[in-house]
Amino acid sequence: MIVAEQKPLEDIIRMVRPYKKVLLLGCGTCTTVCNAGGETEVAFLHDALRMAEARAADGRREYSEATLKRQCDPEFLEHLTERVEGVDAVVSLACGTGVQALAERFADLPVFPGVNTSFIGMAVEWGVWDERCAACGDCRLEDTGGICPITRCTKGILNGPCAGPKNGHCEVSPDMECAWLLIYRRLERLGQLERMRRYYPPRNFRPISRPRRIVGKAGLEARGSHGDVTA
Amino acid sequence: MNTVAVRVRRTPLSEHTVTPPCQVACPLHMDIREYVDLAAQGRIMEAMQVIRSGNPFPSICAYICAHPCEEACRRGQVDKPVAIRALKRFALEFGGDRMIEVEAETTRSERVAVVGSGPAGLACAYYLRKLGYPVTVFEAHSEVGGMLRVGIPRYRLPREVLDVEITRLTKMGVEIRTGTRVVSLDLVFDLGYRAVFLTVGAHQSLRMGIEGEDGAGVVDGATLLRELNLGLTPALGERVAVVGGGNVAMDAARSAVRLGVPQVSVLYRRTRAEMPADPREVEQALEEGIEFQYLVAPVRVRTREGRPEVTCVRMELGEPDQSGRRRPVPIAGSEFTERYDTLVTAIGQAPQVPDDFHVRIGRGSTIQVDPVTLSTNRAGVFAGGDAVTGPSTVVEALAAGRTAAGRIDDYLNHRYPLAPSASEAEWMGDLLPETVATIRTTGRLEPPVLSREERTAGFAPVEMAYDCQTATNEARRCLRCGLGAAIVAPDRCASCLTCVRVCPYHVPYADAEGAIHIPFDQCQACGICVGECPAGVIALRKAGELGQVDEELDHVLGSATRVTSKPMIVGFCCQYGVYGTGTLAGLWRGVKAGVWIVPVRCVTKVETGHLLRAFEMGAEGVFVAGCGEQCARENTGHWMRQRVAKVKRVLAQLGLQPERLEAFMWGENTHDPTEVLDEFAARVGGFYLDSVLLQEVKR
Repeated sequence: MIVAEQKPLEDIIRMVRPYKKVLLLGCGTCTTVCNAGGETEVAFLHDALRMAEARAADGRREYSEATLKRQCDPEFLEHLTERVEGVDAVVSLACGTGVQALAERFADLPVFPGVNTSFIGMAVEWGVWDERCAACGDCRLEDTGGICPITRCTKGILNGPCAGPKNGHCEVSPDMECAWLLIYRRLERLGQLERMRRYYPPRNFRPISRPRRIVGKAGLEARGSHGDVTA
Repeated sequence: MNTVAVRVRRTPLSEHTVTPPCQVACPLHMDIREYVDLAAQGRIMEAMQVIRSGNPFPSICAYICAHPCEEACRRGQVDKPVAIRALKRFALEFGGDRMIEVEAETTRSERVAVVGSGPAGLACAYYLRKLGYPVTVFEAHSEVGGMLRVGIPRYRLPREVLDVEITRLTKMGVEIRTGTRVVSLDLVFDLGYRAVFLTVGAHQSLRMGIEGEDGAGVVDGATLLRELNLGLTPALGERVAVVGGGNVAMDAARSAVRLGVPQVSVLYRRTRAEMPADPREVEQALEEGIEFQYLVAPVRVRTREGRPEVTCVRMELGEPDQSGRRRPVPIAGSEFTERYDTLVTAIGQAPQVPDDFHVRIGRGSTIQVDPVTLSTNRAGVFAGGDAVTGPSTVVEALAAGRTAAGRIDDYLNHRYPLAPSASEAEWMGDLLPETVATIRTTGRLEPPVLSREERTAGFAPVEMAYDCQTATNEARRCLRCGLGAAIVAPDRCASCLTCVRVCPYHVPYADAEGAIHIPFDQCQACGICVGECPAGVIALRKAGELGQVDEELDHVLGSATRVTSKPMIVGFCCQYGVYGTGTLAGLWRGVKAGVWIVPVRCVTKVETGHLLRAFEMGAEGVFVAGCGEQCARENTGHWMRQRVAKVKRVLAQLGLQPERLEAFMWGENTHDPTEVLDEFAARVGGFYLDSVLLQEVKR
């Protein structure tokens, strides 16, 4: 799941300052789950913005709220066509994809990000999320016992561990466990320690030329200059 | 000031309230959960009104109800049931029930006769009167009340309580004719009555069927109690034995003690575990020095020198009988003989219906009726109470009276009676052992009782009412069954698992398809998940709960924003327990600054938006005050602090001092709450002064 974090309030205030009618738009999927942009956070942002204005006395804006199931699909955005009438700007609490999808669909409407899209990750417990995947497009979890060194090793090295771990923790961030030690222990349990003996050549960045596109449907050639990552 | 923007964010959920087990078990289906909750908030008059609306004679039930609700109470699966009956008494005594007057107007011409002035008859008269019928109650005895008057001893039901209820009834316009025995129903109809409700009770004691039962010094329990309650003082002598293990036996034995009999024994053929009497009655009887002989039954009585000589046989318990209790079996050759001054038989009672009534009589001399309409074989004649059921409880009788009034109304309107409500089907399951393990145990608080000496010296009421503090604490033990959280818009639920993670009782769960479920019969209605749900799709199953804080906040802000002389401080304060009883009001009254209290039903209902709203409307300081460790729910303080911390971060980003917002948990605070609040008000006052000065400087 995509994990995001709401932007500092002052940033959002700065973005909406020139506008009178602002729609606060939540996303009902990833940012709801990570507590950054669901219906409740939209309401909270609304309350916080109104309070900020009441304190700052620099004129009032008219806010409205809406939350879509997902902002990253054009079909869902169609439901907004009436809602955005008369609206001067939209603050989207979806990930960067949602913000761009909005901007693409509503060409004349200023769209601002209300959250910083942080990473692909998981909840460790209520209110704590950890990064787990860098979306590198070249998954090596097969060799590393299901533990990703790209995201979980601070240095992102492919042939670890380095000489830095102390008591199983990383020298860079001492409260983090050394990913390579975790990999070693896991492979040991699986009886696959021989994988540790292999040398992994540097990553091939060729498949991840940006922007990436996946074509899942059959019988259609990839168009234009996009790199074709399908088999 | 700006007008407050109203937003409807959550789908309200009022129609999904589930009937709690106590209400299902109550023959009158009283809204017990509601009045217990009101009592827990110290809203005693409102509690009393809820009680009054569901019960024609609540003060009688408050003393002597057999409280089937407490048997059904799911708190009993955790520790002990909530003391519902005692709470009812508290609410009525402190809520001013005696002052209440019920009014009724005559809108109908059909007169209805009620034969018998017991609880069923009086309840029927009450409801018929409310429906506008002229009602006459005929009572054979010289005093009104039936078993309430002639059966129940004064120490359990003070006569003033009964008199208040009866006066209320006569003020409603019910005509009561005492000393009038109805001998023929034909005559009643000839007098112009269009319908009759027969509630003659079950006053006839059952016979033991042994030799010498009619001898001198042998009396039956019902007769003894009747004589005593109608003002006679029976001479019982020095040694009294009471045969039986029911409530009448207890009443007879304990009355004997109060008449000054030094040695009272109860002879019961089974053991204490099988006794049908209320366990608390038995306990109090033991305290009063009554001797209990179990597994003993009289087989023969001989009169010697005018006194009964009772031969008993010892019993042992055999196979269970039809009632599920183990059948007592005599032990051969175990006879022994004792001499008493009086032998009281109290092994059960049956109705005695005159043959001239020409109603069909069934098992145990009871009147046969249609269970739905309570009609007998005679047109226009209805029956209910002990006369139909055999000896039963007051609350059953009241329920029968209410049903009868409705059915008589149907009959007189030529209307087909409505089918009985299907409330039984809504019975909630038991708490799961896993849920029980997460619920904190709190001991049941019993109301105080008179000491043994004070009790046995006369017929003073044994039990006293709670004081406010104890009552609110006892009421807070309620688990609020059926008011739990529900996902009101499953299509918008993101299955984020927040509710699963925040629930202190581990109630919500995700199924294999990823859908989230909150089992209504396990939820403790603490409200944490409602506030934390990022999709805003969870609501409590209680009408009016959603938006309660918003309404109160609007109300307070409406007044507070008109006062501009003092820095405004808004406090969200828990209404349960001591704070509900006005203690908190006393606390803030002493504080110098303008403190405005928003009453909330637990601090978990205060959401981040509420805190921000208060600041938006000009509050200089905001605090949330929870009851701390006193809270009947888990982790409420923790989640309140989470929300406070989140709003503090916003304040900091806006250049406001986060110290303007504080979470107090009075229970945890070792300091004097007034001092803490004073200190907070002084701090906020300082910020206010600074900002005023700053504005001056800017000018």
